[in-house]
Amino acid sequence: MERAVPLAVPLGQTEVFQALQRLHMTIFSQSVSPCGKFLAAGNNYGQIAIFSLSSALSSEAKEESKKPVVTFQVLHFSLAHDGPVYSMVSTDRHLLSAGDGEVKAWLWAEMLKKGCKELWRRQPPYRTSLEVPEINALLLVPKENSLILAGGDCQLHTMDLETGTFTRVLRGHTDYIHCLALRERSPEVLSGGEDGAVRLWDLRTAKEVQTIEVYKHEECSRPHNGRWIGCLATDSDWMVCGGGPALTLWHLRSSTPTTIFPIRAPQKHVTFYQDLILSAGQGRCVNQWQLSGELKAQVPGSSPGLLSLSLNQQPAAPECKVLTAAGNSCRVDVFTNLGYRAFSLSF
Amino acid sequence: MSSESSKKRKPKVIRSDGAPAEGKRNRSDTEQEGKYYSEEAEVDLRDPGRDYELYKYTCQELQRLMAEIQDLKSRGGKDVAIEIEERRIQSCVHFMTLKKLNRLAHIRLKKGRDQTHEAKQKVDAYHLQLQNLLYEVMHLQKEITKCLEFKSKHEEIDLVSLEEFYKEAPPDISKAEVTMGDPHQQTLARLDWELEQRKRLAEKYRECLSNKEKILKEIEVKKEYLSSLQPRLNSIMQASLPVQEYLFMPFDQAHKQYETARHLPPPLYVLFVQATAYGQACAHMKSSQPPRQDKTLSVAIEGSVDEAKALFKPPEDSQDDESDSDAEEEQTTRRRPTLGVQLDDKRKEMLKRHPLSVMLDLKCKDDSVLHLTFYYLMNLNIMTVKAKVTTAMELITPISAGDLLSPDSVLSCLYPGDHGKKTPNPANQYQFDKVGILTLSDYVLELGHPYLWVQKLGGLHFPKEQPQQTVIADHSLSASHMETTMKLLKTRVQSRLALHKQFASLEHGIVPVTSDCQYLFPAKVVSRLVKWVTVAHEDYMELHFTKDIVDAGLAGDTNLYYMALIERGTAKLQAAVVLNPGYSSIPPVFQLCLNWKGEKTNSNDDNIRAMEGEVNVCYKELCGPWPSHQLLTNQLQRLCVLLDVYLETESHDDSVEGPKEFPQEKMCLRLFRGPSRMKPFKYNHPQGFFSHR
Repeated sequence: MERAVPLAVPLGQTEVFQALQRLHMTIFSQSVSPCGKFLAAGNNYGQIAIFSLSSALSSEAKEESKKPVVTFQVLHFSLAHDGPVYSMVSTDRHLLSAGDGEVKAWLWAEMLKKGCKELWRRQPPYRTSLEVPEINALLLVPKENSLILAGGDCQLHTMDLETGTFTRVLRGHTDYIHCLALRERSPEVLSGGEDGAVRLWDLRTAKEVQTIEVYKHEECSRPHNGRWIGCLATDSDWMVCGGGPALTLWHLRSSTPTTIFPIRAPQKHVTFYQDLILSAGQGRCVNQWQLSGELKAQVPGSSPGLLSLSLNQQPAAPECKVLTAAGNSCRVDVFTNLGYRAFSLSF
Repeated sequence: MSSESSKKRKPKVIRSDGAPAEGKRNRSDTEQEGKYYSEEAEVDLRDPGRDYELYKYTCQELQRLMAEIQDLKSRGGKDVAIEIEERRIQSCVHFMTLKKLNRLAHIRLKKGRDQTHEAKQKVDAYHLQLQNLLYEVMHLQKEITKCLEFKSKHEEIDLVSLEEFYKEAPPDISKAEVTMGDPHQQTLARLDWELEQRKRLAEKYRECLSNKEKILKEIEVKKEYLSSLQPRLNSIMQASLPVQEYLFMPFDQAHKQYETARHLPPPLYVLFVQATAYGQACAHMKSSQPPRQDKTLSVAIEGSVDEAKALFKPPEDSQDDESDSDAEEEQTTRRRPTLGVQLDDKRKEMLKRHPLSVMLDLKCKDDSVLHLTFYYLMNLNIMTVKAKVTTAMELITPISAGDLLSPDSVLSCLYPGDHGKKTPNPANQYQFDKVGILTLSDYVLELGHPYLWVQKLGGLHFPKEQPQQTVIADHSLSASHMETTMKLLKTRVQSRLALHKQFASLEHGIVPVTSDCQYLFPAKVVSRLVKWVTVAHEDYMELHFTKDIVDAGLAGDTNLYYMALIERGTAKLQAAVVLNPGYSSIPPVFQLCLNWKGEKTNSNDDNIRAMEGEVNVCYKELCGPWPSHQLLTNQLQRLCVLLDVYLETESHDDSVEGPKEFPQEKMCLRLFRGPSRMKPFKYNHPQGFFSHR
């Protein structure tokens, strides 16, 4: 394939370092502000950048409006280095970010005024270990105003957002947890992990109610990719999960795989959207599936691999209703409709 | 009226009658003479009016008599004749009267004429007089204006002001009581004062002149004395030479060098002076030890001074040039004066170097020397440099180290982007266009590289925003860049020499790890470097896994490119390396491609991407002790370790029979971590286990 050779710009030491840093950046997490006009993205260097979706989407958007409004470093006092920001969620006032061992809260209003000072930080009660376990997933439970954290210590911790205390520990996974999903009707939480199991937890009793060991089902098992479950989403009685095993749609009550989606690359993020399933992972594309297993569309992005998708459905900002995708690059791709990539926000 | 006209006609008739009858009237003329005079007087007495009445009457009488005669004649008879006679006598009397009246009229006319003439003459005289008077008036007026317009010389003289005049002038000149009221007198007095003063000043001037003369004479005498001193001093200098040599004090040598330096063109002179100064300053800083012969920086001038001198005689110079070119043409007899050859000559002329050049020898700690020769291109007004590195020991040149110490590339990009292939003087492009030189880069090998720092050392600054007419060599610019540049040059040579040594062992598959960097790696590293070769820039650009680096603008053509191959068992890890000329302050950049169970690059394997990040971004922990010459080898060794970790932690496919190809020997806390399932690439030194970053 022919490719245009860009003009070789003479680079000094700092420019080379910055270029390399951008080149090896991975954006792990995204979260849309409660007003729907801003997007926070966290990368592997522990930086959180706030992008203004409204100005980037406006008709007079310039190149600068695709750059962060503000970028700040998440400082980890307990660690020698700055760990990555693996997961972020937004409450109606706060941005919660998690990475190496801790969850931190930031005020959206203050961040937008460039006052980037953390509001509070909490560390779940870990068993002592040589390594501080990471937090891979955060999940808000609006009904009981609590937050569920899961990650490296193979447990789910629930934290009361009112008091900031850790109320429950759900044990059962044998390896670290990748992802969480909330069932909206009943107070149940799904978790998927490196051990290859999707577990269903009842929050009232704090007990495991159901276990699906995906890799044991021959239809979806792919031993050369491993057994890990990297992504998980649920909608009423349906659950879709992927990772090492193939992306599969499950019926929860009968715990049987109903549809196996024909994609070879391991998927890192999956979500229900209207009557579609959106998934992303290794490879440039955002995949759109029919529930029947047909591939509706593959929309290419700018990153070689995607790790997170974010649908901005905040009713407060209907003009900013976009899909954003981020992964193994310093760019966040913005899809104004599901059909194609409009532009990229860049660190 | 009719009567008057007849009156006038009558004398004419009489005259015409009279002329032929002169003889007959001679007597009567004399009689008339006397009468004429009386008649003249008579005229005054008679009244013209009455004469006129008389005339009228006479004429009537004549008419009547004529009519009577007529009448009588017509009647005829004898007695008639008497009556006619009588009447004829009467008419004759009347004729006499008429004649008399005619004469009188003539006289009157003449008199009138005379009177008119007289009056006219009088008027003429008066007119003439008037004319004369008018002329006189005009002349006088002219004189007056002339007088009024007259510019006196004194107005041009710059006089002292009035107050000053009354204050300073002696009273016998100023005469205040007279001059105060009379400006004329005042001006005169001031002029007098001026004259007085000028006389005095002239006197003073003469004095000064004589004084000057005197001093000149003194100077002459002293000069003579000084010139007589020169040979004596020379002889003393000559005599002192052996002593200087004996005491290692090369004053004379330095002096000679400065003498030569006077013929250097300005930029080279600036360089020479600043480099010498810097060299001396360095020597002084280390002067706690006794002065040594081996300075770190030595400066010398090369080339023929005579040629340089010849350059300063412009007319001869041009002749020389012609004769030179003539001589050349004679030598190469094949030459024809075609257009191409002329252009060639012009090019040569344009790229001509100054015959003198400055040699800088920069000595590094390990006794290797960087020889820099600075040239000045006279017509382009830029400086160029040629570099050569000599080492204390003979080096075995590894194949892949070919470009490391080559004069062409050893100093490339000393400052970011300064590749020395383009001329730094914007004016040159127009000169090139004239003689058909596309770029200077075709001539760089022959002329040397016109790096920007070279211009700065020579004090030449070519601003990009506002092109200046003439660029003048500036000492302060050179001085401000000297130290940093010298340090950079030294670091450059040292890092190149270090690389040179390292490449020799890399080619033999040995990654040299110095003892002070040993703690960065575990004791047992199974992966081995099997190949280390240099690749061309174009080949690098065509590799399928280097796109990101190319897109990020990190693969410029001034960089050096290498390919490393690391193997362990069936796994082969290719690493494409970009070595920036600014190594080791700018790290080498690695791009990886693993061939094991399919091809894995950063686009399809997050852990390969992480490995690249480990060596490219986290290079600072691999730098080792300053000046971090071990960076490249440490990065390669780190890659070997990373490959070990990658292979050993690869999840075993349960469905495949048989033992794992790479049993896990490394101690790891966890195999995978985080959403992108990173492997534990970080090595913790004293404990020897691997963890996640």
